[in-house]
Amino acid sequence: MIATTAFQGLAVSELSALGVAGLPLLVIEHPLGGERPDAVARRSHQALEQLASLISGVGRGASHSVGAGGASTGRDVGGLSEKGGAPIGANTVSESELTLDDDALSILAEFSAREWCDGLPIVPPTAERVAAMLGGRDGATSLGAMPPLWRQATAEKLAVNAVMAGCEPAAFPIVLAAVEAMLDPTFNLYGVQATTHPVAPLLVVNGAYGRRVGLHAGSGCFGPGFRANATIGRAIRLILLNVGGAWPGRYDMATQGGPAKYAYCIAENEEASPWGPLRDGDTVTVYGGEGPHNVNDHVSTTASGILANVADTAVSLGSNVGWYFSQAQLMVVLGPEHARTIAGDGFTRADVQRFVYENARQPLSLMRLGGMYGMQDWPAWMNATTDPDARLPRVPSPDDIFVVVAGGSGKHSAVVPNCTFSRAVSRSIRPA
Amino acid sequence: MARIRVLSPVGVVARQSVAVPALPGDLAGRTVGFLDNTKSNFDRLTAGLGELLRERYGVKTVLHRRKANASTPAAPELIDELGKHCDLVFAGSAD
Repeated sequence: MIATTAFQGLAVSELSALGVAGLPLLVIEHPLGGERPDAVARRSHQALEQLASLISGVGRGASHSVGAGGASTGRDVGGLSEKGGAPIGANTVSESELTLDDDALSILAEFSAREWCDGLPIVPPTAERVAAMLGGRDGATSLGAMPPLWRQATAEKLAVNAVMAGCEPAAFPIVLAAVEAMLDPTFNLYGVQATTHPVAPLLVVNGAYGRRVGLHAGSGCFGPGFRANATIGRAIRLILLNVGGAWPGRYDMATQGGPAKYAYCIAENEEASPWGPLRDGDTVTVYGGEGPHNVNDHVSTTASGILANVADTAVSLGSNVGWYFSQAQLMVVLGPEHARTIAGDGFTRADVQRFVYENARQPLSLMRLGGMYGMQDWPAWMNATTDPDARLPRVPSPDDIFVVVAGGSGKHSAVVPNCTFSRAVSRSIRPA
Repeated sequence: MARIRVLSPVGVVARQSVAVPALPGDLAGRTVGFLDNTKSNFDRLTAGLGELLRERYGVKTVLHRRKANASTPAAPELIDELGKHCDLVFAGSAD
């Protein structure tokens, strides 16, 4: 394995978590991308020198597993041996539990020091609260191994994090369905967790169950003020941090991250949708998205006017969408007033998808200026296009554009570009 | 002050380790492969490294293969091909 210095920690942990800690790791200067040829050549020499050292070690009879990687083969005991925070005071700890002063500030300090939370106060996850969250489910049942550190997403660990986030037990089936969806290989959770892109899983909940647990779909739905949205979204982030192990700067390599990484969960405003729900029944859809990009249109009175604004907001040279073409998707979250105007012109959901697909494009001459040009996985016909004015699609088909209605009164909508290496996955919500 | 007992939120790894084959002690006459992660300059890095391995270590053949994109796993047939033909394969994790 070859890694740059900034990614060495992730590479070492990944090799260890995958059970191949003995694989040699050659570490070169960071960054590699964007460097000029002479600087790249220097890194080739760095890799060669390390390889030479490993091979001569083999020749002398030494084990190559002591090379540049230096990964430990020790078992991760609940993260207690791995995370950086030092215990505070006389708190006692074992593999699965911790005893500490029953004081809100002491608990926050301890959980923060252990890197067990997002920096905000938590509800202490006592055994009683966790049992109530589980609601009779078998805590040992695992939904699978969660990247990037490939730890088991057992129902108990998910419940512990849901308690910490402040979830009511009735919200837990939504958390479980979202985790199940994120662990579907189609979602590519490893990419979502470890990338430098600021992606966060956006949960869109459909159906009556979400409304019963208090999920908000109206005014300010992406923002604060609603316990179900805030705590379900936060539970997902705590799970990604504590179960998946995606700690910022170490295994979550997001260059800047984003506020959507705290909590990112809405319900669809189905009553306000002219086209019915995104998904039928009690369903959660996870979508690897950037934060919502606002679409301000106070003046258009037609579908084409509003959707021209949507399409323009959906594409920019700095967007990920379209470079990893085979994975690219877009989510359009229409405010109810915009949706009503669009539907008033006779547009179906499929018409909205088609319009955005045809118009959310940029000329090839612009795309050549940066972004990820040269790294794209475009199909042959797109790579063969030479006309600088050609406007190439940014997603494979209109079906890769999701149209959702959410929010309250006002002339705003949002576009949520995906990270283009993760595709949306939906799962049914199954109350206990 | 009263004490409280809380459960750890941290997941546990249940994966078993697998043995890793030893590096060859000599690369002369060997075939070396590079699995390009498609990140910027990885192709240049490995072209340079491949050339150095030929010149200084007598590597006979260098194979370069490219993943579809950086963030999804390599296709199984790509891994099979590299595994079948190469004595040593380099993958990349980097920006």
